[in-house]
Amino acid sequence: MERVTVPGTRRSTAWVVPAIVLLLVVGITVYVGSVPLDSSETRSLAPEVIFTSLWQHVQLVVVSTVLTIAIGVPLGVLLTRSRTKGAGAVVLAAANAGQAIPSIGVLVLLAMIFGVGFWMAVIALVAYALLPVLRNTMVGIRQVDRALIDAGRGMGMSAREVLFTIELPLAVPVMLAGIRVALILNVGVATLAAFTNAGGLGSIISSGIALNRMPVLIVGSVLTICLALTVDWLAGIAERRLRPRGI
Amino acid sequence: MSENPGSSPDTMIYLEGVSKRYPDQGKDAVAGLSMEIKRGEFVVLVGPSGCGKTTTLRMINRLVEPTEGRIWIDGKDVTHVDVDQLRRGIGYVIQQIGLLPHLTIAENVALVPKLLGVAKNKRRERAEELLDLVGLEPATYGNRYPRQLSGGQQQRVGVARALAADPPVMLMDEPFGAVDPIAREKLQLEFLRLQERIRKTIVLVTHDIDEALRLGDRIAIFGPGSRLAQFDTPLQILSNPADDFVRDFVGAGASVRRLTLLKVGDVIGTSTMEASSVLTTVEVDPGESVHRALEKVLAAGAEGVNVQLAGGASRIIDIQGLLTAAAQRTPVPS
Amino acid sequence: MFLEYLTNNAPRLLLLAEQHAELVLISVAISAVLGIGLAFLTESMPRLRQTLLSVTGTLLTIPSFALFALMIPLLGLGVAPTVAALAIYGIFPVLRNTVTGIEGVDPAVIDAARGLGMGRGQRLRTVVLPLAWPVILNGIRTATIMLVATAAIGAVVRGPGLGELIFRGLARIGGANALNEALAGVIGVVLVALVLDLLFILIAKITTVRGLNV
Repeated sequence: MERVTVPGTRRSTAWVVPAIVLLLVVGITVYVGSVPLDSSETRSLAPEVIFTSLWQHVQLVVVSTVLTIAIGVPLGVLLTRSRTKGAGAVVLAAANAGQAIPSIGVLVLLAMIFGVGFWMAVIALVAYALLPVLRNTMVGIRQVDRALIDAGRGMGMSAREVLFTIELPLAVPVMLAGIRVALILNVGVATLAAFTNAGGLGSIISSGIALNRMPVLIVGSVLTICLALTVDWLAGIAERRLRPRGI
Repeated sequence: MSENPGSSPDTMIYLEGVSKRYPDQGKDAVAGLSMEIKRGEFVVLVGPSGCGKTTTLRMINRLVEPTEGRIWIDGKDVTHVDVDQLRRGIGYVIQQIGLLPHLTIAENVALVPKLLGVAKNKRRERAEELLDLVGLEPATYGNRYPRQLSGGQQQRVGVARALAADPPVMLMDEPFGAVDPIAREKLQLEFLRLQERIRKTIVLVTHDIDEALRLGDRIAIFGPGSRLAQFDTPLQILSNPADDFVRDFVGAGASVRRLTLLKVGDVIGTSTMEASSVLTTVEVDPGESVHRALEKVLAAGAEGVNVQLAGGASRIIDIQGLLTAAAQRTPVPS
Repeated sequence: MFLEYLTNNAPRLLLLAEQHAELVLISVAISAVLGIGLAFLTESMPRLRQTLLSVTGTLLTIPSFALFALMIPLLGLGVAPTVAALAIYGIFPVLRNTVTGIEGVDPAVIDAARGLGMGRGQRLRTVVLPLAWPVILNGIRTATIMLVATAAIGAVVRGPGLGELIFRGLARIGGANALNEALAGVIGVVLVALVLDLLFILIAKITTVRGLNV
């Protein structure tokens, strides 16, 4: 799923997404309240169940995104240093190829080989979301104007000072775009984590499918969509706010 | 131990037999170059592309490390000292300007002082002082970002930034190249005036011979293969080019261009013209260039100049006499 | 062990791979028609176009599992919901690339065409489409590769293709061939992606107007 470029977000439409999310949540609540539910549906849609699944989902996303950043950014920085030129291209090519692997595949294979549960799902999520963060960190650093680095070194900045004063700050917008993509990927793949006993909103959806109960399925799906939209919206705001002034 | 020009008190920069060889290229980019630059001198390195002038410049602050030879700055051999520390003591201005876009103008100017650990308020003061020096009102420009400034303004900030730590040496690599021609000339003149005040040792690289002639105290003309064809004052280069290459490089009209560098006062000593034999004149100052005097004569349709000397005296010379005197190889002041 | 499994089940595996490829190609075809169509229809309505781009782009943030599931009340189980969901996902890459491709055509060329007296339809067919085609095709290619991986999830709504193998392996976790099945599914998907990618390289070579490649 590609959205590498920084989208031009207009302030006037920033309220659209939260409005839609609010509408959907209200709609769902009204729907659940008005439609007669049988016992299995009531069980599957009990507030504790919903909130637990939601919380599990959020945990999966947050933990894996933090880990992805913690691994992806330093690794990306390392691969752009002059002594590792060749390795960078290889890693990037491998990671690009890895995108063809279906996320469900990674989840399932890891679960089958190493076991089910929260942390195994996190590993799958990190592996999958690593590419956008890694690639964007590398692209972000590489697109920094060489003249600025020349000026910096010419001024007497050490290589480390150049990295932290010039390269990283100027790479931030591109890196943030990559982190945003990673976040969305994680929300998506975490939905599938239900299949490997890691919980999340996907479990509500799959019980809806298994029990053949449309209300459960609809509530699960809509809530997942709401979560995804909210995360994307928050990421968009963070992207705008964290962008260094003057760029 | 024999006298090493590098350690002479007059010499600010001394390149001792420096060479630069790139592993994948057959010829040396710079081969065995020795060059002495005096304290407070403005030296311009000029030549066609690929002649090694930029490589030579960048060897002074070791952005390019010499494969052979030694570099002396202010009496010390700096070929192997800590390179970051060395560069903090040398101002560096590049063609692409290189202001950090995510920092304000004031923060950009204060970068080297920050690296040197200067306190925040002192840095701010210094930045404002320097912005003033380069003609940018600190209150207006200090908090702006580079992209809000024009190319000419940005390069002024670039110069201010290079001066921030008060380095004795300034290296400039085609500093006015990215600026439009009108702004360029203005910047050149202002920079010359600035140099009269601050008297730094400056090494500037350009491919434009006119810029070199305009700015330099001495000009180093590089030929292909980093050969130093001539290293002399602008007047000498125009009057006595060392070889055909220099003559060609300076280009057509050297004789006329010389006239811009000669002052009327310097050439009139040999004139013997009588006042009464000249019909129409224009008044000129002995400090004006011969070129300017000629311009005035042509504009007025006159036949000669009336030089206004000190103490109310004046001297009249016809135009032929003026030009003959100017054509002499070595000018003689009156 | 894995090789044994492969040789024993080759016909079935190949059938599923074929199904998978077919599924993706059909869905991408729908996405392409919609994406390219919308791009051309909104040529003179930049605001609407921007809105469409935003909406379809946001659709990509929706987890595929949720979208597949939502299709069930509408289209039941099987091929229909799978194709529908995949086609929806595929619109954005095609739309975005078509817009970029159209906007990337040198305005001077269009101006010349107008000067020659070409009507809008003629201009679109003779000038804009051929020149924008490489970029458009790349968008379709991007969509295809994206859909190959996503189609594996179609198995949750009983969709065709290799996803079935992965889920069956999961359902039989600990069983005899469980790992082999899942592995075969994953590798199969990657291979289908590779084959389709090569296919697109070929199509690009064949269909790109000669002058652009010179």
